[in-house]
Amino acid sequence: MEFNRHISRRLHEEHDATLALWGRVEASLAAGKHDALLLKSAAAALAHELDHHFRFEERELFPRLAAAGEGDICELLQEEHEVIREAGKQFIALVREDSAKDRIRILGLELAERLVAHVQKEEMSLLPALDDLVDEAADDELSAAYAS
Amino acid sequence: MFGNVSRSRLLPMSLPFRYFGAAVAFHAIAWGLLLSAWKDLPGFEAGLGPVFAALHAVTLGVLAMAAVGATLQLLPVATRQPVRALWAVKLVWWLLAPGALVFVTGAARYEPQVMGAGAMAVVLALSLYAVLLMKNLLGARGMKVVVAHGWAAFACLVALAGTGLALVGRYEHGWALDHALVRNAHLILASYGFMGLLSLGLSTFLLPMLAVAPPPPSLATRTTLVAALVAITLGVLGLALPAALLGLAAAALHIVFMERSLRARLRQPLGQSFLLIRVSWACLVASLVLAALMALDLAPPRAALLFGLLLVPGWLLTFLLGVLQRIVPFLASVHASSSTRGTPVISALTPARVLAAHRWLHLIALGSLLGAVLAAQRWLALLGAAAGLAGAVAFAAFFAFVLMKVHHGIQPPHQPAPA
Repeated sequence: MEFNRHISRRLHEEHDATLALWGRVEASLAAGKHDALLLKSAAAALAHELDHHFRFEERELFPRLAAAGEGDICELLQEEHEVIREAGKQFIALVREDSAKDRIRILGLELAERLVAHVQKEEMSLLPALDDLVDEAADDELSAAYAS
Repeated sequence: MFGNVSRSRLLPMSLPFRYFGAAVAFHAIAWGLLLSAWKDLPGFEAGLGPVFAALHAVTLGVLAMAAVGATLQLLPVATRQPVRALWAVKLVWWLLAPGALVFVTGAARYEPQVMGAGAMAVVLALSLYAVLLMKNLLGARGMKVVVAHGWAAFACLVALAGTGLALVGRYEHGWALDHALVRNAHLILASYGFMGLLSLGLSTFLLPMLAVAPPPPSLATRTTLVAALVAITLGVLGLALPAALLGLAAAALHIVFMERSLRARLRQPLGQSFLLIRVSWACLVASLVLAALMALDLAPPRAALLFGLLLVPGWLLTFLLGVLQRIVPFLASVHASSSTRGTPVISALTPARVLAAHRWLHLIALGSLLGAVLAAQRWLALLGAAAGLAGAVAFAAFFAFVLMKVHHGIQPPHQPAPA
């Protein structure tokens, strides 16, 4: 999908990176492997995503989109954030301890599926709506806020 | 059973799912009708009766029904325009579902007047749907390629309604018209036109979304659309050979670019439903090759029937079933989400064994029916119809499973089940 705004393109690039990384995690876990390096990399990326990407969407984007009549989509995405955040925190803690490999496997597979489905929804609904909503000034403002 | 929650461009769950539910029921009716008349299949040429009724249970009851439900849900996502008249979406169903049932019943019982009443309801339903489609496309902002396919499908739908009414008028009132030409135009407009163009257009964003892959290049999809439209026009005018060859080129372009897109996917597992989608593409190509051979008088015996099998159950039905295997759990997971119980994972709404059983039964049915017609073997028709009915029951079990899961609520795996 092609986006016209800097902020949409930036978020789209991050989505691609998330999908690529978690695609590898899913393939590895599904094959019964426990690749500690890959899992640590996924946990670190997830921690950044929960702290930065999710928080930015919740603080800056969802309120704007809700005000523009896209509140129901934002509500759905917010619900997904909460579930991913909860599962993600458990996953990050377990990977840091490098214990409970079975639990890491279950959580990792669940997170891979949830992140893919979440990204699919954001790519189909959030980013196109954002592209429509923001003008050039707002785009610059949001891009600066996201980079900070 | 269904909450009446609207999520902007997402319709309330009851709306698309009532169309999918009706399609599931008509799917079983179609195979049941064919099973009741399995001896007639290898020798079927034309005319009313259970085989004709089974064909229209698929075209009106399954394909048109699911296409209306799916497009009313998916097009607003592509066009960034919500469907505002929810009453009209409900009314379309209340006209289309009973109308198709009456039409199929009339056809099975050799009663053209009953068929006529059903056809009127179906035409009314599709006319109302056409208005909804047009209004949505008029305000479209995103995905220009999908919108262009939508307009092309809309034009075919309008012409399809006209040819359909003309055919019913001939049966019911003895209208004098070039029956073969109108019948062929009706068939082309319905299959390659309305259904085919919708499936091509929606494929360009839906399949990449399901596969987590980049969409095909816009220039390629536009070229495909133009080639397909010219081919359809030539076919409607009775120029079979150029229509088939150009249609073949359009189909090849579509498949090549979709496969390229799928190869660039970011998530390795593609999902078994893509087996059905790929089989459907093979049937599309085979139907056009056969059409070209028929135009050259090089086709095997019973080529018209073989062509119909490749076109309707082979391409369109197989494609639809493959897509429904994926979008039914996806849409259900969206609607099942709530702040109190979280969002269910799609795999929790995907009964893998039931879907595998459906896939293989459907493919056995399709292969057996093609074999029955090619080799003029009635027992293969019996096997095919029985496998098709068993597959339809498996598909209905899958649909019921999803509804039950949504109704009872699903706890995310990492969260404890409620006490």
